Amino acid sequence: MLEVRNGAGESLGVLFDRYQAPLYNFYSKLTGDRVLSEDLVQEVFLRILKYRQSYRPGTPFRAWIYQIARNARVDHFRRAPRQVALNPEMLPPVLPGDSAQHGQEAELLHRALMQLPEEKREILILSRFQELKYEEIARLLDCQLGTVKTRIHRALQQLRQVFRQLEQGAAAGKANASAAGNIPPQGGLQ
Amino acid sequence: MKCEQIGELLPDYLQGNLSPEQDNSVENHLEGCPACSEEVAVWKKLSLLPVEQPSPASRVRFEAMLHAYQTGRADQVGAGFERGKPSSFWSAFNWLRSPLGALAYGVALLAIGTYIGTHMSGSNTHSQELAAMHSELTNMRQLVVLSMLQQQSAGERLQGVTWSRREEQLDPQILSALLHTLRYDGSVDVRLAALDALSRRGRQPLVHKGVADSLQEQQSPLVQVALIDLLLEWRDPDVVQRLQRLQQIPNLNPTVRQRAEWAMSKLN
Repeated sequence: MLEVRNGAGESLGVLFDRYQAPLYNFYSKLTGDRVLSEDLVQEVFLRILKYRQSYRPGTPFRAWIYQIARNARVDHFRRAPRQVALNPEMLPPVLPGDSAQHGQEAELLHRALMQLPEEKREILILSRFQELKYEEIARLLDCQLGTVKTRIHRALQQLRQVFRQLEQGAAAGKANASAAGNIPPQGGLQ
Repeated sequence: MKCEQIGELLPDYLQGNLSPEQDNSVENHLEGCPACSEEVAVWKKLSLLPVEQPSPASRVRFEAMLHAYQTGRADQVGAGFERGKPSSFWSAFNWLRSPLGALAYGVALLAIGTYIGTHMSGSNTHSQELAAMHSELTNMRQLVVLSMLQQQSAGERLQGVTWSRREEQLDPQILSALLHTLRYDGSVDVRLAALDALSRRGRQPLVHKGVADSLQEQQSPLVQVALIDLLLEWRDPDVVQRLQRLQQIPNLNPTVRQRAEWAMSKLN
C-alpha cells in the first residue's frame, strides 16, 4: 500500500487482485445488484488512486479500504436514491424439492438476509463474509467493541427469526404441493 | 448460564475468540437451548451463500481506468518535456489499438468523467465545459453500448442492453442496434431484454415500426407473447392485420396462438 501511496500504479493492480472479489461480494450481498456492485468496486479503486495520500502508513489497510467502500455506497445512494425497495414478494417462489436441499436453504437464507434492515445486514456481512475482526468493524463503524458484539448478536437473532419464518412458509408450500399431487387427474372418466 | 449471558459471549464464540473454559460453558448452554443453538446454526449456514466472482470485464475496466489516470498524470507532470520521453508517453496508447482497449478506454473516461462531473456539478464557472464533457460522455457511453451489443458472450450483450436503459436519449444507431438484437440475437434472454429496453421508446416511429415488424420473424414463444402484449399496450394501428398474419403461421405455438386470440378479443 505504501507503494500505491507513493504513486506506483502497478501496486494498485496487486491490490485490485486481492480486494476486488471481497469488495464485489460485500456489495452484491448488501445490495443484491451485480451491475451496481461492479460499478462500485471500480469507484473504490478510483477513490484509492485519488485519495491515496490520505492513507496513514502503519494503520490497518483493510479498515481504510472498507471505509472507502462504505462511503462510495453512501454517496451513490445519495446521488441516485433507490427507486424500488427490494420487495421479497417480487422474488420468484422457492419451489420445494426442485433443487438440492442445500440450494433451497441457501436461497431462503439469502432472502432472509435481504429482509434484514441494512445496517444489520451490513454488520453480518462484514463479520461473516469479509472476515473482519470485531476490532476492525468497531473502527470502521466508529463505535465501541462491545457495541459491535451486541449489534451482531441482535442481527443474528433477527436473521434466525426471519429465516425460520421463511422456512416454515416453504414447508407449508411443500405440503400443499404434495397434497395437490394426491388429487387424481380430473376428466379421466368421461 | 442464561441466554443473556451467552448472548454477550456468542459473537466471540462464533469467531473463536473465547478461552477453552468459556467455550465449554457456551457449548453446555447450547445443548439445552434450542433458540441459542439455532442462532449458531444460522451463522454456520451462512457459509452456504456462494462467493460470487466479478465478471472478467471488471479487470479490463480497472486497467483502463488506471491507464487513463496515469496518462492524465504523465500529461500534467511531463507537459514541458514530452519530447524528451516520447516512448513512455506514447507507449501508454499502444494497447489502445486493440478494440478491447478502445472499449476499456471509453469505459475509463466514462468513470472518471462521471466522477468529475458529479463532484463539480455545484460550480457554475465550469458549466459550459461540463456540458461539453457531458455530451462527449454520452457519446462515449453509447459507443460502449454499441460494442457491448456485438460481443460474443450473451452475458456481455445482455449488459450492453442493460446499459442502454440508463440513457435518456439514444441515438438512432443504438436504436437500430437494439432492433437488430431483438430480431437476430441468438439468446432469448438478450432478445427479451432488448424488447424491454425498446418498449419504453415506442413513441419513436423507427422503434415502433421495427418492433412491430419483428413479430413475424420471432421464433421464441416467450418473445412472441411479449411482443403481442406490447403491441396491444402501444395500441398499434395495424395490430389486427399483424395478429391475423401471425395466426396464419401453420406451426404457431399454441400458447402464442391463444395469446393472439385473446389480444384480438380485447380489441373487439
